[in-house]
Amino acid sequence: MTTRLIENLRENWLYWLIILFLLAFPFLVAAQTGSSPFGEPRGDRMVMRGESVRWQAVMIEIFILAILAMSYNLMFGFTGVLSFGHALFFGLSGYIIGLMLEYTGLDNGIALILGIGLAIAINGILGLLIGLVSLRLKGVYFAIFTLAVAEMAFIFFGRFALTRAEDGFTLTHVPIWLDATQNRITLYYVALGMGIFTFFAIRRLINSPTGAVFKAIRENEDRAQSIGYNTLTFKLIAITIASMLAASAGVLQVLLNKKVGPELLGIGNTVDPLLMTIIGGIGSFTGPVIGATGLHLLDTNIREATITIGSTVLHVSDFWGLLLGAIFILAVMVFPQGVVGTWIRLRMRWQKFTKSA
Amino acid sequence: MSAPVLEIRNIHTFIGQFHILEGVNVSVPQGSITVMLGRNGAGKTTTLKSVMGLTPPSQGAILFEGKPIHGKRPYHIAQLGIGYVPEHRAIFKTLTVRENLELAERQAHDLEKRIDFIFNLFPAMRQFYHYPAGNLSGGQQQMLAIARVLVPENRLLLIDEPSEGLAPVIIEELMAAIQKLAETSTVLLVEQNFRMASRLADRYVILDDGQSRVEGVMPELIKDEQLIQRYLGVA
Repeated sequence: MTTRLIENLRENWLYWLIILFLLAFPFLVAAQTGSSPFGEPRGDRMVMRGESVRWQAVMIEIFILAILAMSYNLMFGFTGVLSFGHALFFGLSGYIIGLMLEYTGLDNGIALILGIGLAIAINGILGLLIGLVSLRLKGVYFAIFTLAVAEMAFIFFGRFALTRAEDGFTLTHVPIWLDATQNRITLYYVALGMGIFTFFAIRRLINSPTGAVFKAIRENEDRAQSIGYNTLTFKLIAITIASMLAASAGVLQVLLNKKVGPELLGIGNTVDPLLMTIIGGIGSFTGPVIGATGLHLLDTNIREATITIGSTVLHVSDFWGLLLGAIFILAVMVFPQGVVGTWIRLRMRWQKFTKSA
Repeated sequence: MSAPVLEIRNIHTFIGQFHILEGVNVSVPQGSITVMLGRNGAGKTTTLKSVMGLTPPSQGAILFEGKPIHGKRPYHIAQLGIGYVPEHRAIFKTLTVRENLELAERQAHDLEKRIDFIFNLFPAMRQFYHYPAGNLSGGQQQMLAIARVLVPENRLLLIDEPSEGLAPVIIEELMAAIQKLAETSTVLLVEQNFRMASRLADRYVILDDGQSRVEGVMPELIKDEQLIQRYLGVA
């Protein structure tokens, strides 16, 4: 038992270090900036002011994006199934939990638990059904199908009167212990836990025999079939798990912003994880996490910046989309394997170099 | 000669609009090595793919051990006990040698039971067991592709051009291996290299323009220079 623990620590020391850092993060920021990790009390309520809680929100967003990107990577990076409709699972789960909390009249805690369970279950079933109907289509045709379904949901909820159409609705019945405007730190740890779970669950799955079949399908589906695998079954497993993970990210997103609206289903929530996965390193475990962290930190920090050239002041936020596009083009052309793939290649070259020297 | 393990009866296969096979008949007797010969584009590879269900025939019948398999899906056909080694060293390059072999298991412990046999046949597989298969040389990749169909119990092996693009020394090694396989299972081989084919096979089928033309036993073909000249263009 102890030897196994030591073995595990030695193999995964970097992961353990990062996890420890993230666990301590709210308190570290608080100590550094002299703010409280719980926000500031005002009367009997808390106000989310101060550096620590501000950074907690940024980190929760990173966890959410990382979970979304990791789930996308499970389908596209490991199994080779290209989807343009990932936002569907993300957004729909937001609506499910929102409806449960605001429209059922159930006790807040019960509505929350039921909502999370339903969001994940319904999206899993939906992913399975979409896969059953469309996974016989290959490559781009499947991707177009998923895009169509996601856009249908986007348009539907944009006009659905019950959920207040384009405006969406805010959440007022989130249990206080998980309320991002009262106890943000709890949501921080819940999101962190979910992120850690997703990372290790996917790693475990991909290193299992089932994962080997996923990778075989990615490389050549016909070959996988001709050694006796019903590849459709395995692609269905991948899409079902991926849609459930994306649903959990959607739940967290809604709990953080306390707002449900059709923008959750927008194409941006498909494109962002796709970009993050590709820039970070497709088909690797850490790639989507690195991509999500890097792009989101860039997004939050650079967006507010201004550049002064002579007498003209340029706001970075005005051309943020352009900048992101340029980063993406650069990444695809110069580092097609992303940050992680390029790192591995450079390290291998370095090892060869030092060996021959 | 005993009943055929595989019988292809007058199949027609289209790829898109192209009528590739226009009546192919092949019969592969139990325990034999049958080789399909013919020029490039004669339909040899498509015939194997049609058997596997990758390019299903639109007409005709394919019988494996007397039961029809045409119209079934590729994975189903494979599970019946047919091992397929596609052309161009069709391994999974990003997976390790071990993972490639494990993937081929049809029942638990298949690999465990066969691993000594495989290591004996292809010692390089032992040496590179934990390396990505993409790092192997061309010949080793071909050996891995063949080793993979040896993991489960396959009663028929379809092997597409194993010698393609390989050095003569390696070809010799592969030939010895295929000969050894044929002791326990039946083989249908596609091979352009006539020297290799004539030494390995007991039977032959000649395909031309998507049709099977002549079928017989190898020693007769070797004597019939006119036939060789006409369909294969080699002497």
